[in-house]
Amino acid sequence: MCQSAMQRLLLTAAVLLLSGCAMQPVQPWEKGDLAKPAMSFSVDTLDDHFTQHIYNSKENASGGYGVGGGGCGCN
Amino acid sequence: MPTSNDKRDKTGEGRNAAASLLSAALALPGLAAGLAATTAIPAHAESAPEQGSVDLKYLYYRDYQPGAERMRVSAPSFHVLMPLEGNYALEGSFVLDSISGASPLYHNTLSGASGLGVNDLRKAGDLKLTRYFERAAVGVGFAYSTEHDYVSRAFNLDVRIASENNNTTLAFGVGHASDDIDSVNFVARGRSKRTTDMLAGITQVLTAQDIVQSNLTYSVGRGYYDDPYKAIDVRPDYRDQLAWLTRWNHYVSSLDATLRLSARYYRDTFGIRAITLGTEWVQQVGSWTVTPSLRYTTQSAADFYYGPPFPVGFVPGQSYSADQRLSAFGALTPGIKLGKLFADGWRVDFKAEYYEQRSNWHSLIGGGNSGTDLLPLKAQFYQVGLGKNF
Repeated sequence: MCQSAMQRLLLTAAVLLLSGCAMQPVQPWEKGDLAKPAMSFSVDTLDDHFTQHIYNSKENASGGYGVGGGGCGCN
Repeated sequence: MPTSNDKRDKTGEGRNAAASLLSAALALPGLAAGLAATTAIPAHAESAPEQGSVDLKYLYYRDYQPGAERMRVSAPSFHVLMPLEGNYALEGSFVLDSISGASPLYHNTLSGASGLGVNDLRKAGDLKLTRYFERAAVGVGFAYSTEHDYVSRAFNLDVRIASENNNTTLAFGVGHASDDIDSVNFVARGRSKRTTDMLAGITQVLTAQDIVQSNLTYSVGRGYYDDPYKAIDVRPDYRDQLAWLTRWNHYVSSLDATLRLSARYYRDTFGIRAITLGTEWVQQVGSWTVTPSLRYTTQSAADFYYGPPFPVGFVPGQSYSADQRLSAFGALTPGIKLGKLFADGWRVDFKAEYYEQRSNWHSLIGGGNSGTDLLPLKAQFYQVGLGKNF
C-alpha cells in the first residue's frame, strides 16, 4: 500500500514538473508574487538550522536540504 | 515592491520598469532562496546581495515523557550575511547549545533515571563564501562543531546554474564531514565517522504564483555509529542515506498569503524508511506575518532495532539497538510563528511548537521488532528572534 502511494506521489511530481516545463514560461514582469519573502525556500536560516538540528537528534531521517552541514553527538 | 496590478500592466513604461525590477527580483529562484530570508531581494540576483543582515535568536527546547522531564536545550544563535566587493557574499552563523537532562527512557547509562544525567555545551559555527556569475553561483562552506565528546568538521561546495529565462535553476553539491568521538564514559575512545554527501536539485517556476523545488541527496557514511551511552548498542559501521525532498510554494493573491508544502521520502541501509510532510500558511497582516504550521513524520524501525523488554533479541556479534530513534513511530508538530517587520529594517519574531512522538502513530510497516510500544515523547520548542537589514 505504501509502495503504491509512493508510486502515485512520484508520478504526480513527475507530471507536475513536466507540465511546468511545457507551460508558457513565466515572464519577468509576472514574477512580483514569486519575489515575496514567504515564497523563498529559506525564510529564516537560524529557524531552519535549529529545527533540523532538533529533528536530527530525535528522529532517524535527515537530508534533502543541503550537503556538508557536519554532525553532532546528539544522534 | 510592485503590486499585483503593476505586474499586469504590460504596456509602455510600466511594463519596462516592472520587467527590469522583477527580472532582477527573481532572476534565479534557487539563488535567491538562501538569501531572501534576511535581506531585501538583490537588484540583480546574478550578483551578490546589495544588503547585508544580522540576526540573533534565542532558542529553547524541552522534552519530557509521562512523569519525567528529559532533555532541555538553551541555545543563543547568531547569523550574519555580508555582501562583498566583486560579486561575493559571505554568510556565517554560530550557535551555543547548552544541553542538560537525560535521553528518552529505555536504556542509556547517562540517563537521569540511572543517576548521572547529561550536561554538555556544544559550540557550532559555519561560514560560507559565494561567488556570483552571470547565470550561476558557486559557494564554498565550512562548518565546525565541538562538544565534550564529539568534534565535527565539514566542508561543502555547491554550484547553481540558471536557465536563460531564469525559470529553472539546477543545483549540484558535494560535502564531506569528518567526526571524532571520545565518549566521557571511555566506551568509545578515538573513534571516527566520515560522511560524504551529494546533492542534485532543481528549482522550477511553474506559474506566476507557484514555485517548486526538488532535491535528491545521497550520503555515504563509514565509521562509528553505536551510541556509547546505551547499555547495549551495536550498529553497522556504515550507513548510506537517500533523501528526496520536494517543496512547493503557492501564493494566494486574494488573501495575500503563501501556502508552503513539503514532502520528503527517506531510506537508509539501517533498513529505515521515513516520510515527512509539512505545511505552513504564511499570512501577511500589514507589517505582521502569522504562520501556523503542521508537520507529520513517520518512520519504520531499523532492521536491528528491538523494543521492550530489554535486551530481548540481543545476540553477541550481531547488530542490536534499543534506541527509541531507531524504532517505528509517528510524530506531529503543530506550531505558530509571529513576525513583525519595522520600516527601518528591524525584524522581530516569535515561534512556538509542540511535538509529540508515539509508537502507534507510525504508518510504515517493516524493519525491526518493535515489541511493546514505547512511552510517548513530547517536546516544546520556542524561538525569539531579532534582526536587522543594513
